[in-house]
Amino acid sequence: MQEEQLIAGLRAKDRKTTEYLYDKYSRALFAVVSRIVFDKDIAEEVFHDSFVKITNKIDRYEETKGRLYTWMANICRNSAIDKLRSKEISQAGKTNTIDDFVYGMESQSGTQEHIDGIGVKELMVALNEDQKFIIEYIYFKGYTHSEVSEEFEIPLGTVKSRVRAAIQVLKKNVARI
Amino acid sequence: MNIQSYISSGKLELFLLGELTDREREEVLDRAKRYPEIQQELNDLEETMFAFDSMTGVVPSQEVKDKIFTSLESTFILKENPKLIGDTAQVKVIPITSAWKPFAIAASIAAILASGAAFYYADKYQERNQQFTALLQDQSVMADNLNQVKFDYEKKGSQLDKLIAGDYKKVKMLGDSFELQKDARVDVLWDQEAEDVFVAVNQLNGLSDELDYQLWAIGEDGPVGIGLVNAGEKMALQQMKSVADAGTFAITIEPKGGSIAPNLEKLVVLGEVS
Repeated sequence: MQEEQLIAGLRAKDRKTTEYLYDKYSRALFAVVSRIVFDKDIAEEVFHDSFVKITNKIDRYEETKGRLYTWMANICRNSAIDKLRSKEISQAGKTNTIDDFVYGMESQSGTQEHIDGIGVKELMVALNEDQKFIIEYIYFKGYTHSEVSEEFEIPLGTVKSRVRAAIQVLKKNVARI
Repeated sequence: MNIQSYISSGKLELFLLGELTDREREEVLDRAKRYPEIQQELNDLEETMFAFDSMTGVVPSQEVKDKIFTSLESTFILKENPKLIGDTAQVKVIPITSAWKPFAIAASIAAILASGAAFYYADKYQERNQQFTALLQDQSVMADNLNQVKFDYEKKGSQLDKLIAGDYKKVKMLGDSFELQKDARVDVLWDQEAEDVFVAVNQLNGLSDELDYQLWAIGEDGPVGIGLVNAGEKMALQQMKSVADAGTFAITIEPKGGSIAPNLEKLVVLGEVS
């Protein structure tokens, strides 16, 4: 299905299109949420709310302002960050690092999840320490780049170029795997 | 503009992370429109992020999917028969499976009932709101009345205190010996020691707006005006100015506001202090 068709179907509140959207994007969007919100039940709750929000607010999405996936991922990311910062979740005892995410996923029972996690470790290994740090804080801990800059006293420009470098590495390796 | 340095600034990544201000977003969108390389890089990065997210994620549980679609159930719109809309070739037919019909019917009925209820309650709300406003107004009127009553009560209370504590003489003023109002009768209550004077109208005709009844205390120095008498306020005590010396009290009709000297031709009632 073309993106225009998909958007038109969503705007028409069509069930089949919504199911297609879910099948195509739920894994990626759930990843956006669950790497920030580590607790599986809470992550699923956030994902539920975000997906409902996406379908309900589809009229607010503007094609000229960016692609659909980016818009959806940002809704998920912001909901996850909101949840993480709400008092509801106590992150006490949870460091929420890439390692937790990778090993946490691997330790879960069932082959399904095990297969799903393939490649993450390889992707992460390719990053140098600086890049890993940036990815960890921005992708896994829900920091904004300016928060990373302030908290760790890294110049904003450096944060930006590290984000760029890290994503370039991911880009290269995603294509390879 | 150096396209490569713009691309490598990291701005596009932040754009995708939703971390740019509205103005910066506009800038990125504008440049992407103008320079195909930038648009291409944006597309590649988005693909990368989607691929990264897809690879690192796990599929959410079936329960979440069921819950989501249950939550969305009421928002789905069942397609009308596309033939009714127009060219069948262009309209994609989304078949309505029979399993959805009962839900659709139930949802429609629920929607109708809900709108009915909404109208009903909106109407009720309006009505209650008006009643409430009316009650508030009533309440405000009552509060005013209560204040008036309280004021009167306090006045009466203090008058009563004076009457009980003081040594009041009652002077009956009658109109039978004059031409104007034969049946007129007004009582003066006077405490000579405290010099307090009250009048109580028993019978006094109403006057036109330009005229007033004026009470006079007539002593050794002649008549002294000690206040205007309200004819309408019957059987109630009206306090007058204080008087130390008087042998006679009388009421005349005077122009509005009273006069310095009484018009004896308009004498209404007179009573001597016994």
